[in-house]
Amino acid sequence: MLVPPTNFEYAPSEAYNYMTTCRECDAACGMMVTVREHRAQKAEGNPNHPLNQGALCARGQASMQALYNPDRQAAPSSKAGGALTWEQGLQEFTQRLNTAGGQVVYLGRPETGTHKAFVAEWLQAVGGGRKVTFDLLSRNALIEANRIAFGKAMVPDYAFEEAQMLINFSSDFLESWGNQVENSRRFVNMHAYQDGKRREFVQVSPQVSLTASKADRWVVINPGTEGVMALALAHVVRNQKGGYDWLERYLEAYAPEKVAAVVGVEAEKIVELAEAFSNETPSLALGGGPVAATEAAVEMQVAINILNAVAGNLNRTVVFPEFSPAEDTSHQQIVDLIQDLNAGRVKVLVVDDSNPLYGLPPELGMAAALQKAYVVSLSSLKSETAGAADLVLPALTPYESWGDAAPRAGVRSLQQPVMAPVNVFDAKAREDVMITVAKGVRRSAFEGITTYKDYLQKAWMQVQSETGRSGLFDNFWVSVLEEGGVFGSTPTTNVELANSVTRVSLPTPAANEGLTLLASSSLLKADGSGANKPWLQEVPDPMSQIVWDSWLEIHPDTAKEMGIDDRDVVEVTTSQGTLSLMAYYYYGIHRNAVAIPIGQGHEGSGAAADGFGVNVMTLLPAKQDASGNLVFSGTAVEVKGTGSKGYTVNMDGNPRQAGRDIAAATTVAALASGEEGHGGHKRRTEIYPDRAETAGYYKPYRWGMTIDLDRCTGCSACVVACYADNNIPVVGKERAAVGREMSWLRLERYFEGYGDEFETRIVPMMCQQCGNAGCEPVCPVYATYHNPEGINAMIYNRCVGTRYCSNNCAYKVRRFNWFSYEFPAPLDQQLNSTMTTREKGVMEKCNFCVPRLTYAKRQAKALGRDLRDGEVMTACQQTCPTQAITFGNLSDPNSRVSQLAMRDDMEQRDRQYEVFPELNFKPAVTYLKKVNTREVGGHSDSAEHA
Amino acid sequence: MHAAALNQYDADAGRVVIDEHLGHPGIEATTLDYGQINDDMLAMLEKPHPSYFLLLLGFLTALVLGVISLAIQVDVGIGYSGISHPIMWGFYITNFVFWVGIGHAGTLISAVFYLTRAPWRTAIYRSAEAMTVFAVMTAGLFPILHTGRPWLAYWLIPYPNERMLWVNFKSPLLWDVFAVSTYMTVSIMFFMLGLIPDMAILRDEALRRGHKLKALIYTPMALAWRGTNHQWVHYMRGYLIFAALATPLVFSVHSIVSWDFAMSSVPGWHTTIFAPYFVAGAIFSGLAMVMTVLIPVRVVFGLEQYISTHVVNSVCKVIIFTSMVVGYAYATEFFIAWYSGSPYERAIFYFRPFGDMTSWTLTGDHNITFPQIAFWLMVFCNVIAPIPLWRYKVRHNLVAVWIICGLINVGMWFERFNIVGSSLQHEYDPASWGEYWPTIVEVGITVGSFGFFFTLFSLFAKTLPPMAIMELKEAANPPMKHSPKEH
Repeated sequence: MLVPPTNFEYAPSEAYNYMTTCRECDAACGMMVTVREHRAQKAEGNPNHPLNQGALCARGQASMQALYNPDRQAAPSSKAGGALTWEQGLQEFTQRLNTAGGQVVYLGRPETGTHKAFVAEWLQAVGGGRKVTFDLLSRNALIEANRIAFGKAMVPDYAFEEAQMLINFSSDFLESWGNQVENSRRFVNMHAYQDGKRREFVQVSPQVSLTASKADRWVVINPGTEGVMALALAHVVRNQKGGYDWLERYLEAYAPEKVAAVVGVEAEKIVELAEAFSNETPSLALGGGPVAATEAAVEMQVAINILNAVAGNLNRTVVFPEFSPAEDTSHQQIVDLIQDLNAGRVKVLVVDDSNPLYGLPPELGMAAALQKAYVVSLSSLKSETAGAADLVLPALTPYESWGDAAPRAGVRSLQQPVMAPVNVFDAKAREDVMITVAKGVRRSAFEGITTYKDYLQKAWMQVQSETGRSGLFDNFWVSVLEEGGVFGSTPTTNVELANSVTRVSLPTPAANEGLTLLASSSLLKADGSGANKPWLQEVPDPMSQIVWDSWLEIHPDTAKEMGIDDRDVVEVTTSQGTLSLMAYYYYGIHRNAVAIPIGQGHEGSGAAADGFGVNVMTLLPAKQDASGNLVFSGTAVEVKGTGSKGYTVNMDGNPRQAGRDIAAATTVAALASGEEGHGGHKRRTEIYPDRAETAGYYKPYRWGMTIDLDRCTGCSACVVACYADNNIPVVGKERAAVGREMSWLRLERYFEGYGDEFETRIVPMMCQQCGNAGCEPVCPVYATYHNPEGINAMIYNRCVGTRYCSNNCAYKVRRFNWFSYEFPAPLDQQLNSTMTTREKGVMEKCNFCVPRLTYAKRQAKALGRDLRDGEVMTACQQTCPTQAITFGNLSDPNSRVSQLAMRDDMEQRDRQYEVFPELNFKPAVTYLKKVNTREVGGHSDSAEHA
Repeated sequence: MHAAALNQYDADAGRVVIDEHLGHPGIEATTLDYGQINDDMLAMLEKPHPSYFLLLLGFLTALVLGVISLAIQVDVGIGYSGISHPIMWGFYITNFVFWVGIGHAGTLISAVFYLTRAPWRTAIYRSAEAMTVFAVMTAGLFPILHTGRPWLAYWLIPYPNERMLWVNFKSPLLWDVFAVSTYMTVSIMFFMLGLIPDMAILRDEALRRGHKLKALIYTPMALAWRGTNHQWVHYMRGYLIFAALATPLVFSVHSIVSWDFAMSSVPGWHTTIFAPYFVAGAIFSGLAMVMTVLIPVRVVFGLEQYISTHVVNSVCKVIIFTSMVVGYAYATEFFIAWYSGSPYERAIFYFRPFGDMTSWTLTGDHNITFPQIAFWLMVFCNVIAPIPLWRYKVRHNLVAVWIICGLINVGMWFERFNIVGSSLQHEYDPASWGEYWPTIVEVGITVGSFGFFFTLFSLFAKTLPPMAIMELKEAANPPMKHSPKEH
């Protein structure tokens, strides 16, 4: 089309932001989707939303690739007859329901919003049946323990920011445990160094996850002994604090000296930790996650509840809402469902995007059970479960359909279609399909409702009256669409520890003879639903830095004893089977345990997922804890080296920084004594005048950034956001293996120290926009040059591709287009239309989101003024849950970034530093040192060896 | 050309008397006369033996292999090679530096040794000059074909254009463009100038025998040379001027090539020693290549009288000298790395010979990788292998000299690889350390470059006189009336 039509909004660079809800996990963060040219191009957090406050996690960012996934269900099909028309598909579905005689099961994810009532009404309309929820990473053990301990079967609100000290029992609360974004923000607000202090975070766990890498101390316990450890701590804390006399006898058995051998921690260390915990009030203990999901998971959660109670944390840092909108998430339901299926008690099984066939241990027999019923898949994406369905009716993604969620009492988040359905898929909204077939079964069903939008609006009329908003519903509706929902405060209620907890007996965990297998959580793949998104495969796991693969975390001491080298292929055998994968030397794992992350090893979830890594769930026996939930850890495992090397695709060139202080850290003591900083790196006298004094430069803007390593959790959301906003291609496993990954922003992970005392440091590294760059003078054709706003601009069209700039970049942040990369359709529809794509043979790199700057400046110009501080955000900064990244104008001494970077006041700096200052590249990115509570031993001083 | 001037003709003995203090002419001048030289040289340009075509076919095959590899690389993208982040330069830049280095011997021998009065250059300078031209032609291809978009490589030339785009004169790569193109231009002109009297001989011979095609080629190249005194005076003066022009280029080209590295911030590259180190290395490798090529030529064409052991001996002495310079440079680099106190410098110079430091690896293990092999191969070939040349006997043993020179060629290639490859593997940012392994396409193009070079040299050897006929004559017995072999 030569001339765009004028009768609808069309401007290539003009962005429309729609508020909706992220449905990647049950946390249901508010989302703001940027739509240009009628295509959703970028997902960001809804700044109004109380939970995520504008930030999104890596998976939320990558949800865009669920929308445009080339492996979406494209058209209705049946196992028997192949491709179908929608009419045929709907007819088949209706017919099956008609003959089901009420033996219908809707298998779906746990819902919090209107969908609960909708499914109930639908089941009634089609003649009866029930809903079964499935969430692989369910927190039902915690909910059950809260029911036992407090009579509240729900997840409490953890007020991290109130806690003076945090003890975490194996949970991955910065990864997949609860609302990761909210947890990260609140945790960092508690933990980050401020006012000369830091509040301690202690990890008690057999494994160091990304969450645990933020801990100030790692207390290594034997696998499965979190509960015992919690009670041992409670014993000491109660003795010290008094109160809860009725617990004295119960806790007597858990005196530190009695359980020291069981948990594998010396009694003195337990006492010391408990005393520290008891001295800080309020404090917070929490636990859970797959690593702690043993058969005694509920008892462990009760133990943690007791610890919180005796430490005086109840109703202070552990706050219960009055009610919870969440559905029951117990795995018992699906175990029952399998029984019913096998017994022939289910005729029609309707499945949404849930993927139990992948997630459940094969011992449960889900695959065979699915054969027993007529399975209708209403999924948008290909999955193992959808592949086993008899009838597939493609559903729209949350980006294209209506919905809502109530992630917390008082918080209602609306999900609206932000664009017309992606044109290459013939899909319909899941709920609309359900309404249609319900009407087919019973004409009177869903009276006065034709689409789910009608149903939703009806439900929201109720919301309007509940929230007491007066006026026309239409006005209310528009306002909630604009706001993204109704965000009220959560009513809370006080709880007390029930005496009945003493009846809970914590089984003493029997230690496995050999190694214990821990199915650990995966930040990016979560329950496996992340695996079919190329971004989440290509972005390295921040801890192992491995991409497109699974790995076996094994302690070097253990591995060496067994003759297993780093990156060797090993065979891992449990009672359930054998998997072969790559051994990864890792200090952050108990010497008698090995860990495999959940989420890989798909067979039928699309090209990006299938064949990469292994599925650890296939190694697990079908055990359940007291709440019915599946057991993820504690399985005895045998590991055997095969002698061959693994096909390693890890993105860290070297695990250690060789004493180069790229990821620098200081200690609280050093900061308090004033040893740190204070003229550490003074500005030197130079022959040449500073660029700021050169006409035309840095006025009114010089863009700069600060990154607070003490706030950075390594969640990788920034990396995915960068991929999304800058049209960065995904290169795949083979090319990543030889270093051709294109990420403009990477998280460098360095280990310091050895053994249990090791420390992890993560530093986000992107173009430092140097004021005296190495890349600029060596380019023979000025394809990269210093622009007046201080950005090392890259002119792709001018680049010949000598790659000298990359050689001369000390930070190694330049990426080269080795090939003409493709964005397989319809992933190309996601491309940011304000940003170019690059052809083979040219260099590219971070440019501080130039299109965003241009757009913001244009808007400011229309108002006749300069940009104000905070009016423009880079993609990485925008999505950072902990606000570790600050971006702004260094030429303005009052901007937040100037205040933080303290470039004009070098003598007063304490945590600020630039990377490689001695090279005099004058980077525009200032890092703020991570703050440790102690010195880490074994700091390398490799330079002295030469 | 001054051999005759320096060594006096003894009319009584009827031959030239060699005064070793004044310089050996290199050829067995005492037994040769003009006629025999003419015949011997023209015989080399006779119809070749079938084995020549076989050899040529081999070289052409290698060349075609390179062309195919290059075509694939241009089509698919440079990602087809093993070059990757962070090792952005690999085989191609190694080859570039290597071939520029090879291209140093010719001009050194023809110009520098001309000015410094080393008359033993006579027999070998023409071939060496041809090698220079061909090596620089080969070298010049690499910076172009290593770019991501070789079809835009002309953007490195500052030409006026309507888009007002200009080149960056701060970039060492641009200096390269000028250095290499200047060197190539002067080398070719010097080469062509030296050919003029010989072209006249070939023209006359072609006319005499009635070879019209040959006459057509050689006539314009002879530039109407008749050998008059007037012409000789101008010619000699012109040759001297060109020698004076070419001499600084011998030193400037490789200095500038070295600055591609030295001007950067890369540890192991950023060092002031690079210019002299590279020039010495270039002469070292260039002379080794001359020996590698000319010793077989001497055997095949039976040129024992022309390329005498004295020539080989003299070249070997220069090789020993440059080997010592190179060895000294290696040692200096290590000293400076230690003395600088820079952790990055120290790290790279620890890495090159010994591999990863134990404090780098996760568990404190020690790793050995390919760069260490390259380093020790370099030290062995360039510093240790030439040591036997100190002995007179070895210098006069052609087989030994040929083997040692072959090793030096290998060693010098690895020296360049050591510089290009290993430094980029371990730069400042450990998270971006990487490894480099070439793929088939780089090997193909490298083999192709040898095919290109040797194809051109083979064609040269049969179409132009591989030795300067007129200079040989200067060194030989002049045609005297009482000379026994007078024609």
